[in-house]
Amino acid sequence: MSEPPAARGSGPGSAGVIEVDRLVKHFGPVTAVDGLSFAVRPGHVTGFLGPNGAGKTTTMRVILGLDIPTAGAALVGGRRYSGIIRPLREVGSLLDAGALHGARTAWSHLLSIARSNGIGRRRVTQVLQLTGLDAVAGRRTRGFSLGMKQRLGIAVALLGDPPVLMFDEPVNGLDPEGVHWIRELFKALAAEGRTVFVSSHLMSEMALTADHLIIIGRGRLLADTSTAQFVESSVRTDVLVRSPRASDLAELLTAHGATVEVQDDGGLAVTGMGAPAIADLAAGRAIAVHELTPRHPSLEQAYLDLTAGSTDYRAGPPAGDGTRRR
Amino acid sequence: MTTPQLHSARETPVAGPAVPALAARAWDALGFEWIKLRSVRSNSWTVLIAALVTIGLTAIIAHSFAAAPGPPPGGPMTPLSESFLGYAEYTVIPVSVLGVLVFTSEYSTGLIRTTVTAVPRRWAVLAAKAAVTGTAALAIGEVLAFALFFLTQAILSGGHRGISLSSPGAPAAVLAAGFVLCACVLVGLGLGAIIRHTAGAIAATIGVIYLVGVLCLVLPPPWNVRIGRFTLPFAAYQVVARHSQPGLFSPGVSLLVLIAWPAVILVTAGVLLARRDL
Repeated sequence: MSEPPAARGSGPGSAGVIEVDRLVKHFGPVTAVDGLSFAVRPGHVTGFLGPNGAGKTTTMRVILGLDIPTAGAALVGGRRYSGIIRPLREVGSLLDAGALHGARTAWSHLLSIARSNGIGRRRVTQVLQLTGLDAVAGRRTRGFSLGMKQRLGIAVALLGDPPVLMFDEPVNGLDPEGVHWIRELFKALAAEGRTVFVSSHLMSEMALTADHLIIIGRGRLLADTSTAQFVESSVRTDVLVRSPRASDLAELLTAHGATVEVQDDGGLAVTGMGAPAIADLAAGRAIAVHELTPRHPSLEQAYLDLTAGSTDYRAGPPAGDGTRRR
Repeated sequence: MTTPQLHSARETPVAGPAVPALAARAWDALGFEWIKLRSVRSNSWTVLIAALVTIGLTAIIAHSFAAAPGPPPGGPMTPLSESFLGYAEYTVIPVSVLGVLVFTSEYSTGLIRTTVTAVPRRWAVLAAKAAVTGTAALAIGEVLAFALFFLTQAILSGGHRGISLSSPGAPAAVLAAGFVLCACVLVGLGLGAIIRHTAGAIAATIGVIYLVGVLCLVLPPPWNVRIGRFTLPFAAYQVVARHSQPGLFSPGVSLLVLIAWPAVILVTAGVLLARRDL
């Protein structure tokens, strides 16, 4: 990613940065956010990941001044959101695309919000064109598909041309074309030096969109890392080996320091040794090898491993007794 | 990149002073609420239908009074109060429901979060909504009150019982009738902000602007009047009919009662709105 242009934002240092500092949020007896700290920087698409109920939406609501934190703080550009004058020019956000009055047209919806922050009609027309909604601007939003509502929500977020943008689960319910469009849009916004903060519970989606990841579980920070680093460090690769003399080969590889697990189908899952080394060793002892496949478990798996201990709602085994465990 | 407009779009439209004056921001917040209010077409239709039904009903009532040989049976009717017999049920209640919806429709759709991210000062949100809705209600109320007055007196004058606007107390009474709508709509708006659910807030609003007063009528005297004079229907009746019935408040004090109800409810709504998670 290119370096973010320094010119964006209004103040020095913290311009365009979202800072969450030891944030705690209780809802009655439930702790939604539990001492969370992180910073989101300009010029990147930052993915905000966590299982359902991890506290992503609550954190975003606190950043936007909608929920009042129990302790700690969330700042945008060094200020509390509620202290920003004409905040839509500083922070654009989309929390819930369905938050529309069905009797209002897309145009009226945008015009009212533009008016609230002293933004002119020309900008309303621009964001409608930008999101491809100009043809349906005069229609009531009641009849909009989820994809159109998402686009309208993004149009609202872009109204003030803000240096900071936040989106909560923006790809939920979008068709593949819409997902692709959003992905490219986020990358373009970040390339312009904006801060783009996107929550999702899907690792696969974020791997394609985000270049930095903040992963939380049960309201706590689990990882704050670049996507590339996360992929590299947490993806454990192994090599699948099949051989008619599997047990001999397993013994040999173990003797040379590899860890071997015998799979149900007789294949050997070898870790700690690369495919070439395995092949060389087998050849040296004249052990035939029928398959030698380096395997990369999916990024999704690495993410599931990381968040395994912090999932609130987990389904039972597919063929199990149907009970749900907390 | 694929979206070059993003950048080029920035120059003029969003430009403006870094820190606009308070007045400009207040104007923005008012404009925001005004566009939202008028862009829901059913609001205008509801007001129009309520007004037409009230006018039609008032004409029928006035005709029946004009045709009656003696003074009307029942309560102490005056040519003034006869003008507003249909007004409470057919204008004040439906339009107050619209006041309720100003907040509850935003809570039910989630739009309240969009509103507060656009205008993070929550007291400003409440003030703007109350100012815009209250002003609209006042305008509707006054236009309708004068229309009902002239209509009724024109019909009554056929039976030589009508009064003119120059009669003592008449202009104040008609103006007050218009204000009653504003007060009740603001009660609805405030209760909507407090209760947040449409059905509950409508029930509470009808309770406050109507049923509490009706309940006082069934109390044994003198408690019916002693308690009743603090309720909105009694106060509204006093400012419009201008009766100096023993035990009731004067029109002036009744006007204060009409102001106090929405004021207390709106302040409560503001305190809750400022504290709550949205």
